[in-house]
Amino acid sequence: MPKCRFSDVKISGIVTCIPTLEKCIDDELELFGGKVKQLERLKKTIGLHRRRVVDEQTTAADLCEQAARYLIEQSAVEPSQIDTIICVTQTPDYSQPCNAAVLHGRLGLSKYCAALDVNLGCSGYVYGLWMAHTMIASGGCERVLLLAGDTISRLVNARDRAVAPLFGDGGSATLVERSQSSAATFFSLQTDGKGFDNLIVPAGGARQPCTKDTAVAVEDETGNIRSLENLFMDGAEIFNFSITEEPKSVIELLEYAEIDADAVDHFVFHQANRYILSNIAKRLKLDIAKVPMQTVERYGNQSSASIPTAICGELATALADRSSARLLLSGFGVGLSWASALVEVSDLAVFELIDYTA
Amino acid sequence: MKLDTFIKNFEEAVEDVEVGTLTAQTRFKDLKSWDSLAILTVTDTIDMEYGVVPRKPDFESADTLVELFEIVQTRIKK
Repeated sequence: MPKCRFSDVKISGIVTCIPTLEKCIDDELELFGGKVKQLERLKKTIGLHRRRVVDEQTTAADLCEQAARYLIEQSAVEPSQIDTIICVTQTPDYSQPCNAAVLHGRLGLSKYCAALDVNLGCSGYVYGLWMAHTMIASGGCERVLLLAGDTISRLVNARDRAVAPLFGDGGSATLVERSQSSAATFFSLQTDGKGFDNLIVPAGGARQPCTKDTAVAVEDETGNIRSLENLFMDGAEIFNFSITEEPKSVIELLEYAEIDADAVDHFVFHQANRYILSNIAKRLKLDIAKVPMQTVERYGNQSSASIPTAICGELATALADRSSARLLLSGFGVGLSWASALVEVSDLAVFELIDYTA
Repeated sequence: MKLDTFIKNFEEAVEDVEVGTLTAQTRFKDLKSWDSLAILTVTDTIDMEYGVVPRKPDFESADTLVELFEIVQTRIKK
């Protein structure tokens, strides 16, 4: 996908809903075989600390629904005014129908409303924004409700050190609308499908349906335990991918937009972990104050919800203080897939982080 | 690219290794602190210093530091 540019489209609000159950790596010493030093190194080097996870009854759709209800209320938009609902998730309620249709019903949206899911993870929020912009620019929609959320904590094996302490859960809602007065926005979207098996849940789809064998947890050569129905991640490959592709795509988008990195107010990267975030920032020579990275230490890696959480959790005050701000958003992960956007948001927009209430 | 600088970079990248304690013949995978985290920090250092991202097979095929050094050198020339 080449890069693209839009005008007359704005983001008028983002709300992220976070589960209240908190886990902390300090309580999981036994996962590291009681090795205090290894745990401390992970905290110090990778920046692993706390994360918020759902219980067994709560899904990404529940988190997104609560975020959407709050956003609709705050934005003074009628549910009937929403022309399309997009759900970005890899943890839908059902293999079919899609979350967007289920939530369309739960939110009471109009029958004259398109609804579809996007099966992407960490790059998914930016992809969803791009689709919303495309739909509005085509003239077909005035308002798009973008819901992006995941409950990856329910896919990891608690005894897999490579993923269990990393992932948290979250659901977000973003309202994208037509607006004559808004600044241009820019997108770039990329894929490397050859790396599809570096971050994967092997069983549960049509290629390898769930059987009693796929549910059996097995220990790998590094001592981590998981089944074929759990999430697998090759951490080294994902790290290499992040430090090579991410900085390149950010530079290319800035060049395309003819905007200097200094003219960007905040660089909001997918909150993978502090080590990856600081490495990307270092390679791009960014002022670290412009790069939110507290989100992942508080809430965990929230997949498609991490960028909206970082905006609502770390930037809401800063964004309210100035009439408009230029943000570079960039997500990267499962696919492998990565996408960046350059957007401008105004102080009139809603940015809020809320706790999930069952 | 010099071997002694490469070894120094490696020593700085790996936790609990003092600068000046490793040699070209050190079998780095036998180091106590060699683990998946060390792979990340060494990858980062080699990329920053030499502009080459070493991959998993590179770490697997090298036993000693000089062997890893030679692999990185070949990758730079490509």
